[in-house]
Amino acid sequence: MGIPTVTLTRADFVGVMTNAVAGLGLAPDAAMVTFPIDMFLPGSDISPVQARKREFYDGLTRWRSAFGADGAADAPMIKVQGASVDDAFSRANNLMLANRWGDGLPLWPPTRERVSWIRRGATQPRGHRVGIFPPRGGVTTVETCAIALAMAGGRPEYLPVLVAAVDAFLDPASGSAQLQAASGSAFPVVIVNGPIGAQIRLNSGFGCLGPDPQRPAGASIGRALRLLQQNVGGALPGIGTMANYGGVRYTNVVFAEDEANLPPGWATHATERHAFAPGQNSISLAFANGATNIRRRGAKKETPEEDALQGMYRMADFMRVPNMPGLSGYEHGTPGILMLPGVVANTMARLGWTKASIREFLWEHSRIPTEHLRRAGCPAWLEIDSSKVVRESIALDPWPITASPDNFIVVVAGGGHPTNSYWLQGYSPGVVGRELELPPSFDALLAEAERDLGPR
Amino acid sequence: MVNLEFHDPSGAIEVKQPFAPRVASLEGKRVGFVSNDQWQAYRMLPLLKSLLETDFAGIEVLPLDAFPQGNAVIGSEETAAHVKQSGVDAVIIGNAA
Repeated sequence: MGIPTVTLTRADFVGVMTNAVAGLGLAPDAAMVTFPIDMFLPGSDISPVQARKREFYDGLTRWRSAFGADGAADAPMIKVQGASVDDAFSRANNLMLANRWGDGLPLWPPTRERVSWIRRGATQPRGHRVGIFPPRGGVTTVETCAIALAMAGGRPEYLPVLVAAVDAFLDPASGSAQLQAASGSAFPVVIVNGPIGAQIRLNSGFGCLGPDPQRPAGASIGRALRLLQQNVGGALPGIGTMANYGGVRYTNVVFAEDEANLPPGWATHATERHAFAPGQNSISLAFANGATNIRRRGAKKETPEEDALQGMYRMADFMRVPNMPGLSGYEHGTPGILMLPGVVANTMARLGWTKASIREFLWEHSRIPTEHLRRAGCPAWLEIDSSKVVRESIALDPWPITASPDNFIVVVAGGGHPTNSYWLQGYSPGVVGRELELPPSFDALLAEAERDLGPR
Repeated sequence: MVNLEFHDPSGAIEVKQPFAPRVASLEGKRVGFVSNDQWQAYRMLPLLKSLLETDFAGIEVLPLDAFPQGNAVIGSEETAAHVKQSGVDAVIIGNAA
């Protein structure tokens, strides 16, 4: 902009600020005057603003960045020495934690050998640029992804899913630039469609949200994505991201749709939401801020029709909540992801339900009476929203939790048992899909996995 | 001894542009506010406005709502263009909390 600025901000918001500035292509620095959180709360004493007015004036007249104007080069390799393999591994892990690159769980040091092995899953050269990771603006290449996947304990055949998920994450339509720093504890959810899910041991059934040693791919891929969010994107808790709780961020959520148990005539999520051809390997990325198990089935002598209908009402009841962060996805995103086990989906399909009719039902029966919105102070959030569609939705009574039934994501996933369904509450400005590219050696990578891990 | 050599996982940062030069003095300058209108901005920023007007001769401090307000718009290219077009010499941004 070429105009000097100074920012009035909270003391522990400095990391968020420097990330945001770096994301704009400036050095990770900014003229700031910081105060404790107390001053930003209703009824606070704001006299410190007057007491420190000179700092604002200096920020506009005298401040200089502590950084030079030159671009940063690739970081050098890290070296540790230990008395034994165990000692060296321990020192490497300690160093990674001290440098704020870890998540508290053991990491696999991303050695050249390990990263080269992981990179065998890539279709592009190592320096291929996937994008700039917000808000810090770290340059993200195929190699950066491979490093994170190595640290997360991943394997080369997982890399196509991770690179596609990162590409979707970095798409501005995903909203990640805001969610990376926001307080609402959003976490990415990656839904995989196509044969690759089963091929790389990605879970779609019992325990698909993990952990599962029999189908471990989701843990490593999701953990690698989280490490990228933190190490490259700068989303360090309380410094680069103000996520109050953090959510399910160790491994995020990565699972496959249970396509083998899709009822006849039901399209996959990838086909419905992104128009990808059936059988095409793909990912779909959304964000959630809640995860809830719903006991869906009846307890006595319900007929199949009653069981299905009561379950639908109960699921809609779980969705009828004033999820104000979800407004960011009101128009183009999703209010959430409903996971139905295959056995439930097939029973409902035999009764005439489709994914579309399920979405219509949920949209209609999750509406919130305006009186309930008003008593909870929600209209103020709707009024200040940037979306005209959101602002105008205030007039609707009862108020629909999303602009269109089509925004609901319904996927078939979860163990073959009819009792439960699962609701991942959305905080998702967009839902971004990507088709996967596989390397020519992919079959060989799968054979090596078979050798290393045993038969699928 | 066992040597382990591994990658820094944080990726490179590209610095593409320098910070704007500061003004020599605020006297006689035009100053604007870009506000998200949250976190007590409605109290703190008017206080800053009056302090600036008291402390610097000939300063012109624009009204708090001279530019679009709110988290959804203050970071947009449109707002940046609006600020630039206004001819202000310096901007105070608040409140991030």
